[in-house]
Amino acid sequence: MDGYGLAWLAAGIGCGITVLGVGNGIGRLAAAALEAGARQPEAAGDVRTTMIIGAALIEGVALFALVVCIFLALKG
Amino acid sequence: MSSSGTDTLHTQSPHAEEIPPSQVIPHLLEELGDHHELNIAFTTADVLPIILYDDGGWHFYQNVHAMEEAGAYRLVKGHVVRTSDGRAPALDLSVTNLVVFQWIGMLLVIGLFFLAGRRYRRAPLAPPRGIQNALEAVVVYIRDEVVRPNLRSERLVRAFMPYFVGLFCFILVLNLLGLLPGMHTATGSIGTTAALAITAFLVINGLAIREVGIKGWLHHLLGGAPVYLAPIMVPIEILGLFTKPFALTVRLFANMSAGHIILLSLVGLIFYFRSIFVAPMSIGFSIFIYLLETLVCFLQAYIFTILTAVFVGLALGDHADDHHGHAVSAS
Repeated sequence: MDGYGLAWLAAGIGCGITVLGVGNGIGRLAAAALEAGARQPEAAGDVRTTMIIGAALIEGVALFALVVCIFLALKG
Repeated sequence: MSSSGTDTLHTQSPHAEEIPPSQVIPHLLEELGDHHELNIAFTTADVLPIILYDDGGWHFYQNVHAMEEAGAYRLVKGHVVRTSDGRAPALDLSVTNLVVFQWIGMLLVIGLFFLAGRRYRRAPLAPPRGIQNALEAVVVYIRDEVVRPNLRSERLVRAFMPYFVGLFCFILVLNLLGLLPGMHTATGSIGTTAALAITAFLVINGLAIREVGIKGWLHHLLGGAPVYLAPIMVPIEILGLFTKPFALTVRLFANMSAGHIILLSLVGLIFYFRSIFVAPMSIGFSIFIYLLETLVCFLQAYIFTILTAVFVGLALGDHADDHHGHAVSAS
């Protein structure tokens, strides 16, 4: 396995780990928001807005990791 | 290339005939990007001007053909390079395919709002009809759910409503244009989203400096921490200034191109296996992804707008919301 192969392998594995982390994060966020909305339906609107902002920020971190993966993959 | 994978495979690109099988996927991915030829509704037309700045002078060409006739520059894999040494010119300000699609988006937004606005001017007190209803719903939603909770002061809300409504409608129209067969997604190119994010960066920091003064803006770089923590907080906050627009750029670009790539892969499976029995599965999943993409179009336009509004609110330093604000801005 040469350097290019290692880079592609790293990109693939890194991509998978990123998705694991961000899936876990956004999943927990959505679960908490749903619980909050079920408990206090009148606050559901505010909770949804805050949830979307939080999800977007988590997604932002995931995108940084994916950019690193893309750079690794483009090395080949 | 256009959003739906089927169309992509039927492109009449001038180089489409002799591609080795191993190069098909990279070639199709390249088709998703920007081009110097106009490609609209499955037809390619070499009508867009080339504008280059190189060696201290401007170079204008009527189209790609005229440029290659002149001989100083040529097109390699969709990029303009010097014929002499194969390097890119210093500055390529050509009107490209996606620039034309942005113009189409601008014309649509301006046209729709002009139509609605004319009716308001003619009969200000009449109940809204047709297109007016649709646009009024969008404008009121942006004002009440996006701008007002973040900007707080009514003067700023009035001043910046045009920017936020324009941002939302422009991104939404560009996203949706890409879902029509034979059209391109201008927001699926990192140049477009970067330009939008740079505008957002200027609005965020320009407004903050104007409203709280340069001193208040610098003080905000402390992130609410005591002064002796400045060596740690200031670099983090300065990094945060630039990661926000960068995340906006990559988020919109990645979301818009990811859907296209999934569609391309699903339809590509049929051609990869050379079997018609894969088709029902591929088409079914494609329709599902296509509908999902329609949702993502609206969602990403909304997220770009609300995040810009939230960042503006954070930069203005809302003291009632201090704790929450700094927790977000430091992340």
